[in-house]
Amino acid sequence: MELDYLVTVLLSSLSSASILLIATLGLAVVYGLMGVINLAHGEFLMVGAYSALTATQIGIPYPLAIPVAVVTTMLIGAIVELLIIRRLYGRLFDTMLATWGLGMVFNQAAVLLFGTVSPGIGMPQYNFKIGGYSLAAYSIAMILVAAVMLAFVYLLMTKTVYGMKARASIQEPKMAQAIGIDSSRVNTLTFAIGCGLAGFAGAILLPIIPATPSMGLFFAVKGFLTVVVAGPVALTGSALTALGLGGGASVTASFMTSVVGDVFFFLVTALLLWLYPMGISARWRRKL
Amino acid sequence: MFKVTNATGGYGKTTIIRDVTLEVKASEIVALLGRNGVGKSTLMRYATGLILAKKGSVEIAGARAPAAPAKRARLGLGYVPQGRFVFPRMTVTENIAVAAASNGFDAKETVKKMLADFPLLGPKANDLAGGLSGGQQQVLALARALAIKPKILLLDEPTEGVQPSIIDEIAGVLKRINQESEIAILVAEQNLDFCLSIAERAYVMEKGSIYLETDRESLSRDKELQQELLGV
Amino acid sequence: MLERLYYSSGLVFPAIATAIALAVSHSLDPYLAFVATSWIIFGLLGLSLDIIWGRGGLLSLAQTAFYGLGGYFGAVIAINMASEWGMTLVWAVPSGALFGAVVAAALGYIIFFARMGELQSTILSYTFTLLLWAVTQSFKIDIGKAAIGGDNGLSNIPGIVLGFGSKAESLDPNQTFATVVAISAVIYFFTRWLMRSNFGKVVDCIRIDVEKTELLGYDIRKIQVMNFAYSGAVAGVAGALFALWANYLNPSLFSVPEALLVPIYVLVGGLGTLAGPFLGALAIGALSFWLGGGAASGQTTLILGAILILLVLFLQNGILGALGQFWRQFIPDPNDAARHAGAVKIDTEVLETILTDAAEQAGPAKELDSNNLFKRFGGVIPVNDVSREFAPGKPYALIGPNGAGKSSYLKTCVGLYRPEGGSIKLGNDDVTKAPIFERVRKGMGVKNQKPQVFGENTVEQNLWSAAYARTKEGQQATAISQKVLGMLGLEEQANAQASALSHGQQQWLDIGMVLCLAPRVVLLDEPAAGMTNEETRELSLLVRTLAKHTTVVVVEHDMEFVRTLEGHVTVLHQGKLFAEGDIETLRANDAVLDIYLGRREHV
Repeated sequence: MELDYLVTVLLSSLSSASILLIATLGLAVVYGLMGVINLAHGEFLMVGAYSALTATQIGIPYPLAIPVAVVTTMLIGAIVELLIIRRLYGRLFDTMLATWGLGMVFNQAAVLLFGTVSPGIGMPQYNFKIGGYSLAAYSIAMILVAAVMLAFVYLLMTKTVYGMKARASIQEPKMAQAIGIDSSRVNTLTFAIGCGLAGFAGAILLPIIPATPSMGLFFAVKGFLTVVVAGPVALTGSALTALGLGGGASVTASFMTSVVGDVFFFLVTALLLWLYPMGISARWRRKL
Repeated sequence: MFKVTNATGGYGKTTIIRDVTLEVKASEIVALLGRNGVGKSTLMRYATGLILAKKGSVEIAGARAPAAPAKRARLGLGYVPQGRFVFPRMTVTENIAVAAASNGFDAKETVKKMLADFPLLGPKANDLAGGLSGGQQQVLALARALAIKPKILLLDEPTEGVQPSIIDEIAGVLKRINQESEIAILVAEQNLDFCLSIAERAYVMEKGSIYLETDRESLSRDKELQQELLGV
Repeated sequence: MLERLYYSSGLVFPAIATAIALAVSHSLDPYLAFVATSWIIFGLLGLSLDIIWGRGGLLSLAQTAFYGLGGYFGAVIAINMASEWGMTLVWAVPSGALFGAVVAAALGYIIFFARMGELQSTILSYTFTLLLWAVTQSFKIDIGKAAIGGDNGLSNIPGIVLGFGSKAESLDPNQTFATVVAISAVIYFFTRWLMRSNFGKVVDCIRIDVEKTELLGYDIRKIQVMNFAYSGAVAGVAGALFALWANYLNPSLFSVPEALLVPIYVLVGGLGTLAGPFLGALAIGALSFWLGGGAASGQTTLILGAILILLVLFLQNGILGALGQFWRQFIPDPNDAARHAGAVKIDTEVLETILTDAAEQAGPAKELDSNNLFKRFGGVIPVNDVSREFAPGKPYALIGPNGAGKSSYLKTCVGLYRPEGGSIKLGNDDVTKAPIFERVRKGMGVKNQKPQVFGENTVEQNLWSAAYARTKEGQQATAISQKVLGMLGLEEQANAQASALSHGQQQWLDIGMVLCLAPRVVLLDEPAAGMTNEETRELSLLVRTLAKHTTVVVVEHDMEFVRTLEGHVTVLHQGKLFAEGDIETLRANDAVLDIYLGRREHV
């Protein structure tokens, strides 16, 4: 096997692992810092993509469309937290069902508003070559985006007062209140941030993944698995699982078929959950 | 200073404490004594607002305490729970900083002061709290409670599972902060010596109510009461 | 009358509904009959979820996977057999059931034997469905006459044919409706019977309190897998019926909207009611029928999503749950008896016969032996190198100040905590690594600090499920539980829910459950907590009697209680053995007094 082919496969696999991580981080934040599984996460990603798309359509340049998407999804996220999630604290499965229903509502609303096909945003494609193989520059740039996003979330959660409050609230909810943390406000912000990260993901991935009402599903499913396999040390765990599972599946897929890649993903997940029923990080001593 | 009036509450349908009334005056140290299961911890949680009040009220520094525990903390109620409950995946520094910052105090300064006050924590400043020994966690829980600059400090079984050298340190610190910062302290304890060494006055609980109020002298004299209290 | 009807409502009303449906099946408009058939099939699918979720306690999002697989498998068999033999039902339905059951058992094995968390289990089941969705899009294969064509689906599935031979004709929509109603009714009544059988009672126990069920000695994993397999079989039958009804299948069976519908049926009708899912499917089906479209699509999905949110927020128990709650106001409350219960008085004669019976059935008492046992949590070491042997004769009391590690030591012996070092022997068996239920089967009886009873179940059922864990025979279990019920003097409260009992009575019920297990070693964690002085005296009597027949270890705070036990006393301090002897010697021991009082010299 030639070296250039191997490098190409490796780079593109790293890129798809990064894309998975970009799409998953918001979920990891909401699960890791609120203990809530947001089954509408994929739909928030979709909302972000459509917000960015709509923004470019009314003439806002793409780089500025991304913050528009983030703000939109954060706002919707905050409202959802206030109206639904807050009433269901401590009821994990009820939250899952409610956000699932919410996802369906978003999905159908998008179908009604935008139809099932939508135009791309018409960004020029840059490619570069490694030996005889051509790679899309934007996809490879996602590796960098994932790294920056990861660093951003890590710093946000470890270096800011909000981050400390959020971590205290999930680790010992009652004590957090007893030392003066207004947990429900922290939770609203955490949920909004998680949704904002999803919106960012939808917007930043728009040039390679066009907006469709069901676009979120693909990521969301793998995202749920990534986060659940990761366990309580959500950020480090998710980064590791996204790299291992997403990268592994992508390598498998490039040598065989994409279906085999998906099967690989599922089987490895099942195996990891078998070995670590509470997630791989259940016994780790790490901050996040 | 700190008043609990007609406190009645418990968990779910079960009522554990009934019509408990007690008071801690400014810069006073009061002990809450009684055997296991008489409702001392429940009373503490009632005071912090962590369990639902069925009846009664709490007064902190002259103000009627609002229902939310976070608001009581801001009024100046510090709480060291039984079992410590430090934030396990946060460092020692972060445990203290988050308490200070949540109440509008300068986090860095508070951490510096606490690490100076509790030299035991210094070398562990950047370790995760979950990895500390029981005694170190107890000291950290105390430092965290003091970080909110409380006017009244509630301590629930602070000597449980703690080695003697650290018990000494805790007793010393409590006496000092009580004198220096005029913090009132209510401490629920089974360790009688510890109580006698710091508290001037004591309430004795039995079956969810207060059945005796006494002072240090009569308590240290009354061997029978001691035996009964501790179930020895 | 009203009361008897309430308790048999799950039998009477579904029977009436079935009779009406069969009676009107001939006169229905054929199109309505056709559509309504699908509602019944969806109800059956909902029932499959109610079995594993409402009864088993696992929110499985893989029901549509079993349904789809059962459908495909049943359809492939039906296509290949029907042209020669006719009679599609006998081919499709059992094969669908079998396939659904096998796949569910395999998935259940992964979930339950790994002892996955609830969330992990649900997410894994969801992924399984979505994986199938992805795979079936491009999965093409010809099996005999059946051509599975990826997203083109599988067509040419015959309808329901009841006659034999190649000439047999498919049923018309009205007959199909009647047939599906009949099959669903059979499955419903069988499921209802199964859930009320001995098996179903254990399934209920697992849902209410997994840990306690295992502490009774049930291999919960096996039972959960079996229950999951049964739910998979029901889903598979529904899938096979769907294939015969639709004559066509495609991968959208595994899609998210399909999967979403199932919990909605269950929640609308009422979780855990078994009949509820049919009601829910009927309501949702009728709703989308009259909104236009007939199938769930477009606006309907939007409305369904909103309904799901509203249900979760405001109507947790669904239609049947709300009706049941309303009805209960008009019938006598069986829990009334619990409010008038007097103090427990132990009948020692009955107790003696229970204990001699137990020794006859379960063999002689066993010793419990821990060797260098070590357990740590982060920086805290609650069990630090403890070696101690416990033998029958007199009760052992473990005492020590708060935080000395008494409860942790006991929990490590039980298997609730896994030790990092050392070993535990029960009789001649090393059980250090054995799961809890195996230790219980070898003769360990455990009562935790808090009373662990199955609150939703009656007092009698609580005792029965403990006795049944040992005897595996219903009649014998009933005899044992009646005897223990008599000894506790709780006969009048037999039909009250355990949750209605007072704290102290729940303690007694819990102890009664332990006695039903005929344990050879008994571990009691603060049994006197929350008991009155009178009750504590009775308990002391019970423990002393028990110790004559078995090994008894009691963790206790209450020194007065420990004194009345007149047994061996072991003092633990900071996770280590500190002193031993009888209570009078220890009371005279300054070192022991000091660790209690917190004096420094000896600590």
